Amino acid sequence: MSQNNQEVRLKLENITKEFPDRGGSGTVKAVDDISLDICAGEFLTLLGPSGCGKTTTLRLIAGFENPTTGRILLDNQDVTPQPPNKRDMALVFQNYALFPHMSVFDNIAYGLQTQRVKRQDIQHRVNEALLMMGLQGLGDRRPNQLSGGQQQRVALARSLVVEPRILLFDEPLSNLDAKLRVQMRGEIHRLQRRLRITSVYVTHDQIEAMALSDRIVVMNAGKIEQIGTPSDIYHRPATRFVADFIGRANFVGVTVLSESAAGVEVEIFKRRVTVASSVRRDGAPLVAMLRSESLTLRHDPALPQVLVEQAMFLGSEVEYIVNTGSQQLVVVEQDPRGVHVVAEGETIGLDFVPEAVHLLPA
Amino acid sequence: MQSLRRPQAFKRFASLTQDPLLTLALVLVVLFVAITIVFPLLSMIGEGFSPKGLPLFQRYLSDPVHLSIVTNTLVMGALVGLFGTAVGFLFAFVQVRLNVPFKRFMHIVALIPVISPPFAVATAAIVLFGRSGSISRGIFGVRYDIYGLDGLTLVMSLSFFTIAYLNLSGMMRALDPALDEAATNLGANKWRIFRTVTLPMLLPGIASSFLLLFVEAVADLGNPLVLGGNYEVLSTRIYVTVIGLYDTTGAAVLSLILLVPSLTVFIVQRYWISRTSVVSVTGKPSGTPQMINHPLVRWPLFGLTIAICLLILLIYGTIIHGAFIRVPGVRYDFTLEHFDFVLNGIGAQAIQDTTLLSILATPLAGLIGMVIAYLVVRKTFAGRNLLDFSTMLGIAVPGTVIGIGYVLSFNHPTTLTLPVLGEVTLLPQLTGGRGLLGGALAIIVVFIIRSVPAALRSGTAALSQIDPAIEEASISLGADNARTFRRITLPLIRPAFLAGLIYAFARSMTTISAVVFLTTPQTKIMTQQILNEVEHGRYGNAFAYCVILIVIVMVAISIMYVTVGSTTGAERRLEGGL
Repeated sequence: MSQNNQEVRLKLENITKEFPDRGGSGTVKAVDDISLDICAGEFLTLLGPSGCGKTTTLRLIAGFENPTTGRILLDNQDVTPQPPNKRDMALVFQNYALFPHMSVFDNIAYGLQTQRVKRQDIQHRVNEALLMMGLQGLGDRRPNQLSGGQQQRVALARSLVVEPRILLFDEPLSNLDAKLRVQMRGEIHRLQRRLRITSVYVTHDQIEAMALSDRIVVMNAGKIEQIGTPSDIYHRPATRFVADFIGRANFVGVTVLSESAAGVEVEIFKRRVTVASSVRRDGAPLVAMLRSESLTLRHDPALPQVLVEQAMFLGSEVEYIVNTGSQQLVVVEQDPRGVHVVAEGETIGLDFVPEAVHLLPA
Repeated sequence: MQSLRRPQAFKRFASLTQDPLLTLALVLVVLFVAITIVFPLLSMIGEGFSPKGLPLFQRYLSDPVHLSIVTNTLVMGALVGLFGTAVGFLFAFVQVRLNVPFKRFMHIVALIPVISPPFAVATAAIVLFGRSGSISRGIFGVRYDIYGLDGLTLVMSLSFFTIAYLNLSGMMRALDPALDEAATNLGANKWRIFRTVTLPMLLPGIASSFLLLFVEAVADLGNPLVLGGNYEVLSTRIYVTVIGLYDTTGAAVLSLILLVPSLTVFIVQRYWISRTSVVSVTGKPSGTPQMINHPLVRWPLFGLTIAICLLILLIYGTIIHGAFIRVPGVRYDFTLEHFDFVLNGIGAQAIQDTTLLSILATPLAGLIGMVIAYLVVRKTFAGRNLLDFSTMLGIAVPGTVIGIGYVLSFNHPTTLTLPVLGEVTLLPQLTGGRGLLGGALAIIVVFIIRSVPAALRSGTAALSQIDPAIEEASISLGADNARTFRRITLPLIRPAFLAGLIYAFARSMTTISAVVFLTTPQTKIMTQQILNEVEHGRYGNAFAYCVILIVIVMVAISIMYVTVGSTTGAERRLEGGL
């Protein structure tokens, strides 16, 4: 990790958060003993399915929830007992949470007024923020007179203008339509790389997470499954859950032939492959993960033959569901114009990229 | 688990106490509610179950005279509930679903009874329909005896139906028109839709209107006092027991008996009906409801509604007209002597006192209502529901009962005997001529506790419509709870705040039942004076009081609209260049 030598801005130490359960008699662990370091200038994403505890973690960082146990340190200072308004962090909300009774200008100026910044400085800094977010001329508008994308930009400007030590995002793009979401994703990326403001971002959208993040924290059932760069998470998932949650993964049973310093030699689809694996086997069975795009279909009688059960044309790619006789696999062929689209019901050879094989505990 | 949950609850409480201002607000409102609502009720219950009170229970509940009073009260409540809800439903249905003219007119007429002083409608009804009424005797030549259950049902249904109208029209608007369309699509005709879709969906609203009107009717003192005749109900019996017999223990026992149906109905309305409701009044209407155009439905309902409107106008016209003629219903020559009597006689002080006390009570009631609503909706603390419930008791408990509670609790200083310090005075005497500020403080407090529940309900409704994230955004930007409440929450719930203020002022100016035992020679109350005039048959003077009272309320409402209902602070600052 490239951030190892940088200073730690935010530190979560063994954070657990319990809520009373529905019946009111017991408790539910929304966040279960999480420890995490976030470096200055880093963009870190909490990724996971709904109910995995990512939003609770963000609200714990912001101070809207108090941890049941554990500490939160901001620049080595314990902020756990501090109320959210004293924490020098700004949260960008899922539904923007703009103040509907104030103009765009007043919305953005709100945090500065709270900090008792001088009038002229407020004027100057708000105008700068309007300019930076491409909102010039809209200062007098009410939030309900703006489009969804503009509202999101106001929300972002309102949080950025107070220059918080950490910027927090709670699924900020999920209320936008697909096209605008991609555009805003690009804007957040550009802005964060330029300002290098430490950011914690919550999303359930894996593409968004990979596009924006320096590091991704994949969460499941209140626990951290894996922390790593987008490429780590995608190509070398630590658990079956991560592999399954991110991208399209096929799991194929393998026979272990030998183990050596070079890696593990396995047989997969009747081929011998040596995989440089960090998985400690200790005799336990392994499973190979193959991304859909690492598989290809080719007319070659030497290859294992599979039956094409379903073929879906998706524009930039074709997605096949094939049957090997023992299991179903998803195969994605890029650029359908360059290849022949295989018809449903056809039998065809299955090939794969040996470097893409990743071993996981079964 | 128990051991684990206790520190959790403690931590939540600790997080609330982190903000000293929030803690202060919480402590203040809890103290206020405890002293001004809970304590008087407990004193009254204590008096009722005292050795002096217990034998009275037995006597009242076995004696046929008192039993008939209880029956009378319940029958009257049920009839008013029934007719008032029916009229309210009619007005709402015509307003929302019928394609007829004069809807705006009907809406405004339906709102008029809200600001009517007590006795006004009853007295006008006597003048119009009584033994020598200008319509009953003057036009039809009959000597109709309006005193009793029939007159009470008519007058109270007309006075209270607005509650049912507003409640039901809100629900009818919130009904998703798609349901009607779905039923039509499945082949149902309009009558079948009304019977199988509309009515069942509105049933909780109808039930809740009935119960609210029932509570209002059994609690009402003004109308039964003027119009009851031989038909005695609990509230008038309580009044006579205190004013005529000086028997506060007997009154406390009767109050407890009256409290049983009032509180039962209130609790059923609040916790059962509201839960069974399938219509969400909070949702935006997803379209305009289908109008009913069938002439056989349209015109009879329209005619009936217009007729009721005209009756209401006739009654209010009689009030205004009666204030300017020599003897209402008898001599019709123009005179200003009633106004002269009111404005230059003892009425002047009553007008001044009532208006001043109402002006003092109104902002306090509005603010307390909003603060309690904020605490109840947004904060988690032990006893949250209890605070909400206790506050609502201010209106759920009949006014006469509150009045008895105040007399029992505050007619002497509240003292506590401590081991070392001896007797310590916690509160000075509040009620009666020798009470604090000539008893005025107690009256202000009663005005407040009778108005806070309405402000609390409208504040709660408004707050639950506002995404908590908006307040969190303010806190996340560094503002504390107080600044967030002032800059964000309060401006956003301003319409609810305004509604609370208007209600508080109108209620304070027109209330009689709760303050009738608390007025003193030093502090006169207009409604009390009106009662005096009505009891002596000087209807002209009473009408003059009513006209002045209505004018004061209307002027106050306009002033509140202008000051509170205008542009927000944010807009004003923007116009001034930040």
